[in-house]
Amino acid sequence: MPKLLLEMSGITKEFPGVLALDNASLNIYEAEIHGLVGENGAGKSTIIKSLAGVYQHDSGSIQFGSKSVPQMTAAVADELGIRFVHQELHLVPHFTVAESMFMGQELTGPGGLSVRQMRQQAASTLYDSLGADISPTALIRDLSPAERKLIQVARALVRQGTRLIVFDEPTAPLAAAEVQQVISAVKRLREKGISVLYVSHYVGEITELCDRVTVFRNGKDVGLIDKDTKRSGKELIRLMVGRDLNQLFPSREHLVGEVFLEVNSLGDGDKFTDVNFAIRGGEIIGLAGVLGSGCEEIVDAVVGLRKVKSGSISVRSKKVRVGSPSAALKKGIVLIPRDRRSDGLFLNLSVLENINIATLQDVSTVGIVSHKLSEQRARQMVDQLDIRPGETGRQARYLSGGNQQKVVLGRSLAADAQIFVLDDPTVGVDIGAKTEIYRQVSDLATAGKAVLISSNDPAEILGLCDRVLVIVRGKVVSEHRSQDLTKDSLIEKMTQSITREELRV
Amino acid sequence: MSKVNLEQTLRKPRRIGVEELKGFLIRRGPLLLFGLLLVVLAAGAPAIVSATSISAILVQASPIAIVAFGLAVVVIGGGDDVVVGGIDLSIPAGAALSAAVISDQLTNRGASFAQAFVFGLLAALLVGVINATLVTVVGLAPILATLAVSASVVGVIRVLTTNRRINVEDPTILWIRDTSIFGAPIPVLIMLMTFGLFGYVVHRTRYGMRLRTVGGNLDAGLSVGLKPRILVPSTFIWGALAAGLAGVLLVARGSGMSPGIEERLLVDMVLATFVGAAFSSKNIVTILGSMLGAILVSFMATGLILNRVDNSWVDGWKGVLIMLVVTAAALQTRRSRQ
Amino acid sequence: MKIANLEPNQLATWQKAVLWLFKYAFLFAFIAMIFYFSVVSDSFLGGSNLMNIARGSVVVLLIALALTVVISSGGIDLSVGVALDFGAWFVIIGMASWSLPWPLAVLAGLIGGSLIGALNAMLIVVLGVTPFLATLGTFFIGRSIQQIGTGGGASVSYRKAPEDFQAIAQGESLGIPNILLVGATVLLVYFIVMELSTHGKRIHALGIQNSAARVAGINTKKYRAWVFIIAGTTAAIGGILLSSGLRIYTPMAGFAYLLDGIAAVFIGASLHRGGRPNVLGTLIGVLFLATLNNGLDIMGIDFNVKAALKGIILVLAISAAVLVSNRLPQVEQWFSRQKRATTE
Repeated sequence: MPKLLLEMSGITKEFPGVLALDNASLNIYEAEIHGLVGENGAGKSTIIKSLAGVYQHDSGSIQFGSKSVPQMTAAVADELGIRFVHQELHLVPHFTVAESMFMGQELTGPGGLSVRQMRQQAASTLYDSLGADISPTALIRDLSPAERKLIQVARALVRQGTRLIVFDEPTAPLAAAEVQQVISAVKRLREKGISVLYVSHYVGEITELCDRVTVFRNGKDVGLIDKDTKRSGKELIRLMVGRDLNQLFPSREHLVGEVFLEVNSLGDGDKFTDVNFAIRGGEIIGLAGVLGSGCEEIVDAVVGLRKVKSGSISVRSKKVRVGSPSAALKKGIVLIPRDRRSDGLFLNLSVLENINIATLQDVSTVGIVSHKLSEQRARQMVDQLDIRPGETGRQARYLSGGNQQKVVLGRSLAADAQIFVLDDPTVGVDIGAKTEIYRQVSDLATAGKAVLISSNDPAEILGLCDRVLVIVRGKVVSEHRSQDLTKDSLIEKMTQSITREELRV
Repeated sequence: MSKVNLEQTLRKPRRIGVEELKGFLIRRGPLLLFGLLLVVLAAGAPAIVSATSISAILVQASPIAIVAFGLAVVVIGGGDDVVVGGIDLSIPAGAALSAAVISDQLTNRGASFAQAFVFGLLAALLVGVINATLVTVVGLAPILATLAVSASVVGVIRVLTTNRRINVEDPTILWIRDTSIFGAPIPVLIMLMTFGLFGYVVHRTRYGMRLRTVGGNLDAGLSVGLKPRILVPSTFIWGALAAGLAGVLLVARGSGMSPGIEERLLVDMVLATFVGAAFSSKNIVTILGSMLGAILVSFMATGLILNRVDNSWVDGWKGVLIMLVVTAAALQTRRSRQ
Repeated sequence: MKIANLEPNQLATWQKAVLWLFKYAFLFAFIAMIFYFSVVSDSFLGGSNLMNIARGSVVVLLIALALTVVISSGGIDLSVGVALDFGAWFVIIGMASWSLPWPLAVLAGLIGGSLIGALNAMLIVVLGVTPFLATLGTFFIGRSIQQIGTGGGASVSYRKAPEDFQAIAQGESLGIPNILLVGATVLLVYFIVMELSTHGKRIHALGIQNSAARVAGINTKKYRAWVFIIAGTTAAIGGILLSSGLRIYTPMAGFAYLLDGIAAVFIGASLHRGGRPNVLGTLIGVLFLATLNNGLDIMGIDFNVKAALKGIILVLAISAAVLVSNRLPQVEQWFSRQKRATTE
């Protein structure tokens, strides 16, 4: 009978207006690889943050190693031997592998830093515990993404007393060939008696690695699946998605015109290759792929934020070079970016200023910006999109996520672009604003614009798009009409395991 | 190199050839040019490689190297972002202040060398504390803070010295200026000891590694629990220490203190520190690099003069040098980002 | 998720007064300084003295305006002093060595400054060097070119400069000194461009959030390049005024203006709601420094003491301005929290 290492029971966490965790539970045995899956917003990251001591849960209990933990803080988690390998890699490019592993936890001796000891321990941890052949004196900037990820893992191991390592989307930024390295490393951890909590969108990896998997939906654990269960992959997806499919999406007439945007054999030499698609006016095309699949990079290339190494982009049958978003705008292509707080909005500027910033020449006379015209334009957009609160003078950073997104949309509408590229348009947006944004997107198509959406939310893709291109690790693996797909089947295609993909290659 | 990279490398052989050459040139270009320059200068004026000449070059380089160490620590700990931390333009002024205080103590107040040295050091440290406070507590951008402090310190020096030269005949100072131990002049020995101290602290202590972490990637430092609000201001204290020590050498070199020495020192210090980055295999600012940079700058200046190049052209070459280094660094960052 | 923010009309009067005091603390300090000087010296507030202040502040203003536009775009320019020098130099040589009629010499001066700006633009936009190092390098190169060109740093004078040229800085039109007219014109142009026009808004967007500006379709490369060229040209105007007034070009004279310029920009930025550099704020900063300078002069303080005092007061002034503007949001939050506490 395996011993219980971590027992989280009845955890509830509420934020203003949002119930993030609703009486959720999570149990992990010793020397187990335990998977954690669920859609965005299902509560995965909240429960992990509660485990990390970042959040204090409102009710429920945590037991670790059969000892009760009344209050979890970062220090307590550290002491208990719980380590975290986060999604973001914060490394110093010119540090060596050894230095990176001991950042903040340096080994010292009588003469100061024990450089040799750190190097030795780095090498042995990497080799013994992870099976990785990386020199401790190699520089971070010369390593591949997979190797950097392994360094991150090794950081957790080099400390004494590690008992549980939490991996948050560890293979998202990796290429197919590199994923195996990480997977092997995780397996070795189990051999050493360390438990792993593995959070990932890649159902294929989850089924390959994990002994048991907990599925989260709507802030709760809705199922616990054992590896031995037949067809565990399908079961997982069913649990993740659930039976409810609301009518979030407006229906519309598909009146399709000529080809606005065409992309041929597009590749950037790194994150995506040989991408082909065409978008007509009035059409909404979706790029569906999980985090790190290449969708973001394709979108960046189309709007001029990423250099293209091969292939071509054509607007209305004329080949164009999109060297920058400014050039893209001139060709009628506009981007609604994914990270609206840093790339989309000027947080400290007002709604009015944000809406007009791309089209200042339209609201000015003789080069001088007219406040009256700007106000008119802003008011037009605020009304059309129902942006709240309605004062155009309010600073953008005070708006909710949904309204902020609407401001960005308003700016693009003002720019009278023909080709709209939306990158993850409703990430972090609440349900009310989502509906609004979906309606606006649909209206764009009705008005004859060509729309390209990149998203890792399958429901969104299917609800909005006419056609769907499934992107897995940088390649277009299939193209469908959205009516031919179900949410389950789309998820399955998006999260193909590497073994299956390797066979295909 | 890992297996994955090896495969990728083998898959595209021809392109790697050109790319590698370009990379090598960009990485080592400045160094190659330095080497070439030194060879050309030595060829034109062979006298430069004599023992006395080398000795003089090293002595000249010593105060430059020491202030460069100070700037290097500030840059290493503050990082690339000029707004958050990472520049201290007041170190030369601090050195001049230290020199002024020392000279004033020795000549005008008949103090002992020990007392004069302590006062000079304290004066420089006070400047460092002011810098640290302005940047951390008040929240001024370091470029503005240290520039303003520098101007104030220069003003204070002028009051202290009534804008006139102070002659120093103190025996300890003269001893520093004139003596050599085992063929190494005292100033050079002081430079080497300071090098030892700064190099050890930055590269061999836990504190130094934390400085390098926070300066290398602020987010990395924060994510591992370091405290930049304490680490970054401490770099200005090191800068001030360097200034204080350099002041002694300045007094020895000039047999006193002349107004306006800080201007030349500023140029040479910045040059030494940033050119010195080319000497490190990782192309970052280092303590050793700063020392080599100072020696290079000194060698170049002497070499040009011995080659009968006009004084004004010497500055010109310094400008070209920093342009080269700075451009190469920028091109390198661009390539690594792609 | 609801986010708390301040409704201005919910504050008590005394709280509004405190906020107002905070926001304009620097102006009060400025007024206090004027008061002090006028008490210490009878001639301070006299017409001719005020005119002196105004005239003496024009060159600094030009440098500060150049820096305003560069810092607004998110950069820094350490070579403005050198651009000023080139302006001063080319205009003198233009007349003395190349025998150009003075208007063409003025044009040569402007080109001189814009060359410095162009060099910066190339380094920063084309090669991708950070503005700090790039303008530092330009500063060095510009220095050395001056050294070489003047054979070691000697001044170049041109006593025979035509009257009309001298009139630029020394003459009057309609009773107003020309130098003030030049300054006011440049100020007006900058105000219109930076505060009112489309270009100014875009430049500010660059500095506020470069990534967002890019995505929004602003041609960031073009604007960054132009910003440096404009700065160089503006600094050159200052140099031309200097040459006109003194009929002499002194190498490296421009460096002294760098600190005053940067300080003025930051002082001005602290007076702005969003902490952004702005034309009017820069003007106030420049006037503050000019007044400080003048006041210390009038007090007849020892030359050296004056240098020290000026530096120290400058540090204190900037510190006060920045400290206060940084703490303003905190005070606002504290008040709003008080308000909410009492109403709950």
